Amino acid sequence: MKTNLFYRRVAVIGAGLTLFKRRIVETPREMSWVAARKALDEAGLELKDIDCVVIGSAPDAFDGVHMKGEYLAHGSGGVRKMVSRVFVGGATGVMVPISAWYHVASGLCQSVLAVAEEKMSPARPHPQSVFRYIWDPITEKPLNPNLIWIFAMEMHRYMYVNKVKKEDIALVSVKNKRNAINNPYAQAPANITVDDVLKSEVLVWPVNLLDVSPVSDGAAAMVITSEDIARRYTDTPVWIEGVGWTLDNTEWTGRELAYPRYLEHAARMAYKMAGIERPNKELDVIEPYDPFDYKELHHIEGLMVAKRGEAVKMLKEGVFDMDGDIPSSPSGGLLGVGNPIAAAGLMKAISIYWQLKGTAGKMQVKKPVHTGLAQAWGDLMQASTVVVMRN
Amino acid sequence: MSWDKVGREDKLLSWKDVMEAEEYVYTVGYAGEEFFKGLKEGKIIGSKCPKCGKTYVPATLYCEDCFVETSTVEVKGRAYLDSFTIIYKDSEGNKLESPQVIGLVRFENAKGGLLAFIEGEPKLGGEVEVIAYDVPLKVRVK
Repeated sequence: MKTNLFYRRVAVIGAGLTLFKRRIVETPREMSWVAARKALDEAGLELKDIDCVVIGSAPDAFDGVHMKGEYLAHGSGGVRKMVSRVFVGGATGVMVPISAWYHVASGLCQSVLAVAEEKMSPARPHPQSVFRYIWDPITEKPLNPNLIWIFAMEMHRYMYVNKVKKEDIALVSVKNKRNAINNPYAQAPANITVDDVLKSEVLVWPVNLLDVSPVSDGAAAMVITSEDIARRYTDTPVWIEGVGWTLDNTEWTGRELAYPRYLEHAARMAYKMAGIERPNKELDVIEPYDPFDYKELHHIEGLMVAKRGEAVKMLKEGVFDMDGDIPSSPSGGLLGVGNPIAAAGLMKAISIYWQLKGTAGKMQVKKPVHTGLAQAWGDLMQASTVVVMRN
Repeated sequence: MSWDKVGREDKLLSWKDVMEAEEYVYTVGYAGEEFFKGLKEGKIIGSKCPKCGKTYVPATLYCEDCFVETSTVEVKGRAYLDSFTIIYKDSEGNKLESPQVIGLVRFENAKGGLLAFIEGEPKLGGEVEVIAYDVPLKVRVK
């Protein structure tokens, strides 16, 4: 994509998270408020300082409230303000700071409160049932597929094309759940071994229980402002320097499953904007979307941090560990922290923001960091969103 | 799921199914719990903002304007009928035995309101008394 536009500089100056839990007492509105309040407190702003609110949430059917954006606006500080809701399936979480970015970069707004919320627990018997109607009604639906089926096929294809073994992929789950031990918001931190992953219950071969992120409720929020406001409120703003997003077709059957081409497009857009030419050399810390363990490797390749099929090799060399060259998912990722869909994506962006600000606490990676990237992925395996930040 | 084979044109071209999740379990939240506990004790529980002093009914966890946490208070202001309507048929279209009056009850010095079944001759702005603390409320026109 070639652009000839002048963007205003956009900074992140505050962020907040709720605990990620299986079943949370708070209503979706209350959860949004908890996260939004924390973000405002960290930024040092009050609601009256906010021009506009961006809300991100996956299907209404999770919370069981239609017009969820309108419903959540109350807890997100959107009452009598400019509010918009973005939705690109699982990729929504990172679309939220992207949308907030264009509100500010365009000059329309000075300060944006960006909130992502997901309450996965109300739908019974399981939130997976919400996905029953995303399929082609004639050729796919009669099989009654669920998402884990198709991801299992994608994982199998990835393993076959790149000659990757299941025990190598399991290392991602081990790493992320270990990283989550340092994260006070995490739902599923654990010290596990590759053997634990391989011996956990098989859900849909080759996907075992510990290959998958847990179902969670949670909310996340960020305060995103113009340079003027950022300079007034903080000495350490984190800049959003590149954004990218792509939607592929819904015919997942027509795509090469082993490589996320659409992510490459989104990443190229963000890299170009941020002036990144060699992502594997220039990125200091990354948060690729990891609802499944193979997805982190898949996405690391799509982000061009690793060459095709070589993410596993780098993983085994320890490149993606907390003390590695390019720490990946230092927050613990979705596998360790939990997966309240939209909130999980924004949590990843918040993790990078805290890393670059140097306030990640025990999650802080060992090396000094200057450039970070967060990414999310979703819809029918077709959407990717990327945000690059610098301090 | 079942294949629907009625009519030649529909043959294997349409199917019937139930929509998505089988049921939902909602939580009322922290403020909601206080409100429902209050109903059981025959009280209307609202919440008061420590910053602007507004009282919300039913209780909310936070003030929507100041965005700070509120504290719960019992709402004791005069209850009055803000608006009402009369229903003659149920949602299936069957005629009701007797028309049902539904109203929006507000409380003096409080923001918000509660839906209620109304007994007696309704009048806009007229004072009402709560006769059953339930959802919806049951009130009688004074």
